[in-house]
Amino acid sequence: MSNRSIRWLLNELPGLVSDGVLDDAAADRLRERYPEPSSLSGSRLAIIICAVFGALLIGSGVILLIAHNWEHLGRPARTAIALLPLLISQGLAGWVLVRRGESTAWREGTATLLALALAAAIAIVDQTYHRGGDLEDFFWRLSLMLAPLPWLLNSSSSAIIFLASLTWWAIGAKSDRLEVIWLWPLALAVVPHVVTVMRAERRGLRAANLQWACAVFLCIAAGLGLEWRVPGLWILVYTGLFALMIAVGTAIRRDEDGLWRRPFEVVGVAGSVVLWLILSFDEPWKNIGWQHIHNDERFHQAASFFDVVLAVGLPLAALGAVALTLDRKRHPLQMAWVSSVPLVAVLWPWVASGNTLDAKFVAAVAFNLLLFGVGIATIASGIRNQNLGTVNLGMVVVALLVVVRFFDAEIGFVAKGLAFIVVGIGFLVANLVLARRLRSAEGETP
Amino acid sequence: MTGKTLRLVIFVVLAVIQLAVAADAIIRSELALRSGEVFRFKLQPVDPVDAFRGRYVALRFAVEKAPVAEGVPPLHQQEIFVPLVVDADGFAAFGPADLQPPASGAFLLLRSGFDHLDDNGDRVVSLILPFQRYYMTEELAKEVDRSLWRRGRRPAWVTVRIRNGAGVIEDLFIDGMPVREWLSTGGPDVIPADATDGSSE
Repeated sequence: MSNRSIRWLLNELPGLVSDGVLDDAAADRLRERYPEPSSLSGSRLAIIICAVFGALLIGSGVILLIAHNWEHLGRPARTAIALLPLLISQGLAGWVLVRRGESTAWREGTATLLALALAAAIAIVDQTYHRGGDLEDFFWRLSLMLAPLPWLLNSSSSAIIFLASLTWWAIGAKSDRLEVIWLWPLALAVVPHVVTVMRAERRGLRAANLQWACAVFLCIAAGLGLEWRVPGLWILVYTGLFALMIAVGTAIRRDEDGLWRRPFEVVGVAGSVVLWLILSFDEPWKNIGWQHIHNDERFHQAASFFDVVLAVGLPLAALGAVALTLDRKRHPLQMAWVSSVPLVAVLWPWVASGNTLDAKFVAAVAFNLLLFGVGIATIASGIRNQNLGTVNLGMVVVALLVVVRFFDAEIGFVAKGLAFIVVGIGFLVANLVLARRLRSAEGETP
Repeated sequence: MTGKTLRLVIFVVLAVIQLAVAADAIIRSELALRSGEVFRFKLQPVDPVDAFRGRYVALRFAVEKAPVAEGVPPLHQQEIFVPLVVDADGFAAFGPADLQPPASGAFLLLRSGFDHLDDNGDRVVSLILPFQRYYMTEELAKEVDRSLWRRGRRPAWVTVRIRNGAGVIEDLFIDGMPVREWLSTGGPDVIPADATDGSSE
C-alpha cells in the first residue's frame, strides 16, 4: 500500500473505532500491520536524488570541458585525463560493491559517475586520435560497455542512461540505414535489474522511473527494431505492444496508485489512442501484407524474420496477459482498451489477403467505431466510479476523433455533417435519459 | 561463490574491459602514428559539432569506393581488406577490396557498405572510413569553417598513418599547409598570395 493510503487509513481509524465499525483490538492490529510511514523515507529519497544529480552534473560538466578540446596539452596528458576519471570511478564503484552495497544513494551515485566517466574516456580518446565515426558509433560502444552495469550495481540511473544510449544509437543507425538487429538482445541486459527492483520495491519511485524508461524505450524500439520488409506489420506490432502494456500495467499496480506510478498503462493508453487515430484513416491499410513484400532492396534475413515473430508474438502475448491477469468483472474498462487486438487479428489478414478498396474502408471505419466505443465506455466507467480523470480521458478520445474526422478531407461535407448531427443527437438523448434516471433515483431516495 | 563475490568478479572483468577498450584504441593509434606508413587522402572539409566530443572538421573524402577483387561474394556491411596505392598526384587510392589481407603493402581493415555496379559496369563497394572527423578546439574549428567559407573551396587533404590495417589521422592540410599554419597566414579574410585556385574534388 502506498504511504499516502497508509496515512489515510491511520487517520480514519479513530473515527472508525468511535463509530463502532472497528474495535480497539482490530484498530491496533491494523496499526501494527500498516505502521506510520517514516518521514525518513523522504529524506532518504532526497539523498538518492542529490547523489544521482550530483554525479550527473559533475560527469556532464567533465564531458563539456573535454569537448572544448585542450589540444595544446599533448597526447600523453590527454590520455591520462581520459583514463584517470574512469579509473577513479571504477575504484569507487568497486568499493561501493564491497562496502556500501546496501546504500541505494551510493550505488546510484557511483553508477551514474562511472557511466559518464566511461562516456568521457571514449570521447577524449576519439578526440585525441581523431577516431570513431558518427555519434551513433560512439553510443554503440558506450552501450556495449554500460550493459552489465545496471545489474552489477543494482542501479536504475545507469539502466536509464544505458537505455537512452541504446535508443540514441538505434535512431542514428536506422536513419543511416544500418542494421539494428542487436537492439533487442542488448536491451535484455536491463531485465535482471528490473526484476530485482520490481521484487524488492514495486511501489517505490525507483520502480516507477525504471518502468517509465522501459515503456518509452519499448515504444521507440518497436518501430526502430523493425526491418519493414512486409508492409503493415507495424500495425500488429504496435497494437499488440500497447495492449500488452495496458494488461501488464493493470496487473502490477494497485488501484490507489497515481498516474506517475502506472507508466505502462499511461503509455499503453496514450499510444493506443494515437495508433487508433492513425488507423482510423484508410491510408495505413493500403498495400499491406505479403503480396506487397519488398524484394527489390536488400534486407537482413534474421531481422525480417524477427519482424514476423514480433507481429505474431506481441498480440498473442497481449491476449495471454489479458487472459491470465485481467478479470472481466474487475477490469471491464481495460478489457475494452485491449479489444483492438482481436479486431486487428481479424482485419489485418483480411485487408492483406483481399486488399480490395472495401476492405481498407471497413478497417478504417472499424477503428473509428473502436475509438468512439472505447471513448464512450471510458466516460461511462468514469461516471460510474466517480473518477474525473477517467471521464476526461474518455472525453479526450471522443474529442480527438471528432477533430480528426472534422478535418478529414476524404469524406464529403454532407456525409460528415449528417454523421456529426446523428452523433450529436445521440449525446443529447443520452443526456436526457441520464437526467431522467437521476431524477427518478433522487425521487426514490427518502 | 556468493552473489556479492560473483558481482565483484564480473565488475572487475567489466572494468578491465572498459579500460582495455580505451587502452587498445590509444596503443593502436600511438603505434600507427609512430611507425605507420603515411598516405595523403583528398577531402572537402566542413564544420559541425558533436555534443560529446566537441567541434570537429568533418572529412568528406573525394573517393569512398573501392573496386572489388575477383571471386569475392556479395558484400553486405562486413569487414574487408582494402590495399592502398598512391596515384599519379601522390594521393592515396584504393586497390581491389578482398576478404583476405594483401600479401604485401599497406592496407586498411574497413567496414564495407553494399557492393554494386558503377557507371562503367565495374563492381565497386562503398567504404565506411574510420577517420571521418578531425577534432579541433572550438575556436580553431570555427575559424577553419569561416576561412574556408570566405576563401572559397580550397584544396585540402589529411595525412593518415597506416599500420596493420588501422589508420590514424596525423594532420589536416589546406592549400598545402598544416591547418594551424594556414590559419596563421592571414586569418579568415585574407587569401594567401601564393595559393592556387583549385578544387579538392
